[in-house]
Amino acid sequence: MLKYIHELRDPIHNFIHYSTKERKAIDSRPIQRLRYIHQLALTYLVYPGATHKRFEHSLGVMELASRVYDVVTDPNNILDDSIRNIIPKSDSDQQYWRRTLRMAALFHDAGHLPFSHAAEKELLPYGWNHEMITAEIIRSDEMIKIWNDLEIQTEDIIKLAVGPRYYKNYNFTDWEAILSEIIVSDALGVDRMDYLLRDSYHTGVAYGKFDHYRLIETMRILPKYYNYGSKEPALGIENGGLHAVEAMLLARYFMYTQLYFHPVRRIYDIHLRDFLKTWLQDGVFTTKVESHLQMTDNDVSVGLFEVAHDKSHPGHEYAERIVTRNHFRLLYDRKQEDISKNLEAQKAIYNDLKKQFGENNVIYDTEKQRGGDSTFPVYLNNRRIVSALSISDVLPKIPIAAIDSIYINPNCL
Amino acid sequence: MKRLQVDAVLLSLIEHMEIKGSRCGEVHIQKACYLLEELFGDPLGLEFILYKHGPYSFDLNDELTAMRADNIIELRTKFQFYAPSLLPAENSQLIKNMYPKTIKKFEPLVKFISENFASYGVPTLEKISTALYVTRKEDTDGSVEDRSRRIHKLEPHVTVEEACEAIKNIDLIIEDAKRISFSTT
Repeated sequence: MLKYIHELRDPIHNFIHYSTKERKAIDSRPIQRLRYIHQLALTYLVYPGATHKRFEHSLGVMELASRVYDVVTDPNNILDDSIRNIIPKSDSDQQYWRRTLRMAALFHDAGHLPFSHAAEKELLPYGWNHEMITAEIIRSDEMIKIWNDLEIQTEDIIKLAVGPRYYKNYNFTDWEAILSEIIVSDALGVDRMDYLLRDSYHTGVAYGKFDHYRLIETMRILPKYYNYGSKEPALGIENGGLHAVEAMLLARYFMYTQLYFHPVRRIYDIHLRDFLKTWLQDGVFTTKVESHLQMTDNDVSVGLFEVAHDKSHPGHEYAERIVTRNHFRLLYDRKQEDISKNLEAQKAIYNDLKKQFGENNVIYDTEKQRGGDSTFPVYLNNRRIVSALSISDVLPKIPIAAIDSIYINPNCL
Repeated sequence: MKRLQVDAVLLSLIEHMEIKGSRCGEVHIQKACYLLEELFGDPLGLEFILYKHGPYSFDLNDELTAMRADNIIELRTKFQFYAPSLLPAENSQLIKNMYPKTIKKFEPLVKFISENFASYGVPTLEKISTALYVTRKEDTDGSVEDRSRRIHKLEPHVTVEEACEAIKNIDLIIEDAKRISFSTT
């Protein structure tokens, strides 16, 4: 018997389902390339299990996106009349957007550079980011044939894949904004759900686990009446899912502090960035789709090992530090007691250390968790819609993860 | 402007809005900040787009989160069941001590925004900021009618009559704002 729906085993979601037509998108070069892009860059040098790739993450996001879509568009789950007007009425329109959402979720990371976020900010030409490359990939001739076969519009896929922040000069409708939120929302987006669970599983950092089954089952589209009369629709939950969301947002905080902001992981990222600036032509990655599709982590790894053994190469020092684990050491870490006296305490320390040890021997790294909006709507049993922050004992107390780290050349110690 | 200088101005805006009666929810601050940026030549460099019910800045959202991480502002639930308010926190005085000149320089703008908009509720702020967005960014013939129709097309929940009122309101405010001289240099 001919199968139209296929399944893949997945350690996080048990099974990932896809249709025969969707298989062509999965088998395409941009998605197959993601088999060779590490999800967590060089984190495997700190957590040896972190060898998972963007490929399985993208499949996971696709699977979760349609699970959420099916729950929030179920007529029994539309809890406010204002929301009925947003959701498409006809079955064909609903199926269209479901297919489009799945492909947007599958392709949302297609534009990622080798070693993912480690490289991006300073290693693309001015004005470029990986979202723009994702858009170019989705518009490529190879993909247009597949979109035509699936009967979905290219620009609709891009809108949902990159979101309103990066899809410029276009005003999203409320419906498109909600669909995009299903993938990229800070509080309830499936991109975050999948990577928290997947990263936790592969690294062994147990704090990243939460009950995503319960969370998805309770997701609803709700108006933000608690915003002093606003009717703006947003992804929210029924009251029964609040603890699942609290667990997820706590997981996010712990994963930031334990994993994403781990100091050794960060310094390897910095050494890699410095190596790439010397190794890439003109110090930046290409933005041309064909060339982008031919470069993966494998190419960078080969370059790294070659340069680590070539003292004449300007990137030799950085490559050698990575390959021989002779990275800069953490000397100073962010402290609230210092910030409460001087908001730029870390900069002052960095400037002093530069004078003492030389600019090339000291590195300053700073980052704060982005977005961070945990104000989503909650539907209570008495039919009132409230802000999650106003009824949760946990959410207001979750800190914002931040780092201000200073590293030093181990030769100076 | 340095990041902490922008934060100093945002803090000043929040403080003035609160004094003038605003609930200071994130939506209030988003719209107030948009009005400041658009009326006075984008002095803070924050990028706004039209998103759902009015102009919104992801840059500003990130900046407010960063200010919370530094304990310059905090989220506090002032009114039960409603969205929390963004209010000055423990380290707010530190940033005021660092950038008194920047705060003083922006004071006329911050006062103008808070005096004109702090008492507005979210639905009114959404409409009036969208009216300014359409006036400045959208391709219309400039008439009240055309701009009102454009607002209704972009945000169908806003009637043409409501949009018309918002347009007339913002036209008056644009004229008032021209009387305030400000330079980023």
